[in-house]
Amino acid sequence: MSIIQQVTTASLSDNWRTINIDLLDPESSSNFDTSTLHPAFAPVDENEIRGLGQQVRQLLRGGDAEGALRGALEGAPYGGEEGVKEIHLQTVTEVLQSIKASEMTPMLQRIFQTEGGSDVLDVLMKYLYKGMAAPTTRTKAPEPSTGGFSQMGARPGAANESSGAAMSVLLSWHEKVVDVAGLGCVGRCMTDWRKV
Amino acid sequence: MAPPEVHHLFHHPIADHSFSADKQTLAVARDTSVELYGRSGNGFKLKDELKGHDKTVTSVDIALESGRIVTCSQDRNALVWEPSPTGYKPTLVLLRINRAATFVRWSPSESKFAVGSGARVIAICYFEEENDWWVSKHIKKPIRSTITTVAWHPNSVLLAAGSTDAHARVFSSFIKGVDSRPDPGVWGERLPFNTVCGEYLNNSAGWVHAVSFSPSGDALAFAAHDSSITVVYPNGADQPPKSVISVSTQLLPFMSLIWNGEAEIIAAGYDCEAYRFKGDESGWQLTGSLESKGAAGGGAAHEESAFNMFKQMDLKGKTKDDTQLKTVHQNTISTIRVYEGSNDSVRKFSTSGVDGRIVIWNA
Repeated sequence: MSIIQQVTTASLSDNWRTINIDLLDPESSSNFDTSTLHPAFAPVDENEIRGLGQQVRQLLRGGDAEGALRGALEGAPYGGEEGVKEIHLQTVTEVLQSIKASEMTPMLQRIFQTEGGSDVLDVLMKYLYKGMAAPTTRTKAPEPSTGGFSQMGARPGAANESSGAAMSVLLSWHEKVVDVAGLGCVGRCMTDWRKV
Repeated sequence: MAPPEVHHLFHHPIADHSFSADKQTLAVARDTSVELYGRSGNGFKLKDELKGHDKTVTSVDIALESGRIVTCSQDRNALVWEPSPTGYKPTLVLLRINRAATFVRWSPSESKFAVGSGARVIAICYFEEENDWWVSKHIKKPIRSTITTVAWHPNSVLLAAGSTDAHARVFSSFIKGVDSRPDPGVWGERLPFNTVCGEYLNNSAGWVHAVSFSPSGDALAFAAHDSSITVVYPNGADQPPKSVISVSTQLLPFMSLIWNGEAEIIAAGYDCEAYRFKGDESGWQLTGSLESKGAAGGGAAHEESAFNMFKQMDLKGKTKDDTQLKTVHQNTISTIRVYEGSNDSVRKFSTSGVDGRIVIWNA
């Protein structure tokens, strides 16, 4: 009742269709902080995430690409600032770029079959979308020098466009993750409150 | 296994369906009215139409004992339809909500029903003899968003509700004079109205589409938009639950689920078919689809001649006719209900969906 009355008085001076009635309601959903709906994360330090990046790169240099990928994804800094998340995105992208196309599917299947593997692939999917959402911020990524690209069958000249090439790597990962983890994985990227 | 019984009622989404106790009457929410179908031979025939809402009807439920039908709609009203010799007579229920009513279910005792709504409240409605009127009491806290679904505990006091704030919650809906005091159990000991007995959120946190208590009422399952089902085993009042098991699947999200005994859940949704989950307190897993694909696809066996192929390419620009899904339902399943048996042991269950089909399956 009270809302109807308030709208009626407001409509004397205004077009009532444009009134946002939620603002008039003290209990309205627009009047509370949605971040209170779920538990908070422990903050992640920039040094911490750089350290993790070093470890991951070391694994990568040692030839353990799967371990590097797993390590990078399991250490996702949910509680970090935007800058921290950006650093980790670079780490993940580097790992993804250094894995050969022919190795992707078997590696994803191995990860998927392990305990908690489906969660790891969910995180990977989040990074793929984040990477695709902001290609320009990653132009600092190292020039592709690994075998991953030669197998992508990129169009001529694409190697010069580092963002275009990075995008095609992400797209090809995306396809393979969906093959292994299904469409549920894409849905979880959207619903999950643990943003990367 | 006998093939499922398929009834294609119309080319229009079915928001919800409900069978009467004798299975002779089927109520289907279609657009702004509820259609009542009567069993005639192998099929269903339109018998009656309940017109009373002026916006989309979102949910319908037939009380098994009394035969009363409750409906709710986006017009913010709920109607109780009383059977009488001259047809069903509607009574308006004062819900006192300022958003659409989304979901309604009778309590097992049939003396109350719960209406979920977009107004972030659940209206618990009961009949007040002295006023000869259905009145409602609101469960408000701590709901932060639209209630999409509710489900009753067998004791008719506890109510589970799923919401778009990604939480599944268990409330007490105890109403003095209507309910008898419930025995203390795993959900709590003292249960005054609006007690929050549990609040659950899984990690990937999709908005909740379906909730359901296990047959004993000692466990709660919910399906969310993150393509998961989560089963909660509580451990008494003010204690963390014994275990919360979340199964994320590779499939599309589930819209509705039922228990089949304490160790099995059947869920269906955007993948247009029903899936079976098995497990217990130590873990749950997806065991597979309830549909045998060969039989379903059999009807779609087309002539694969070269002529046909080029004809298809010419007509449609592709060689395969992929307008038919291989599943029985041709679109999202929105409701799944026990048809024969009880949720202790389901012999048959029924599903309805966006494709206007009602299908009765052998569990």
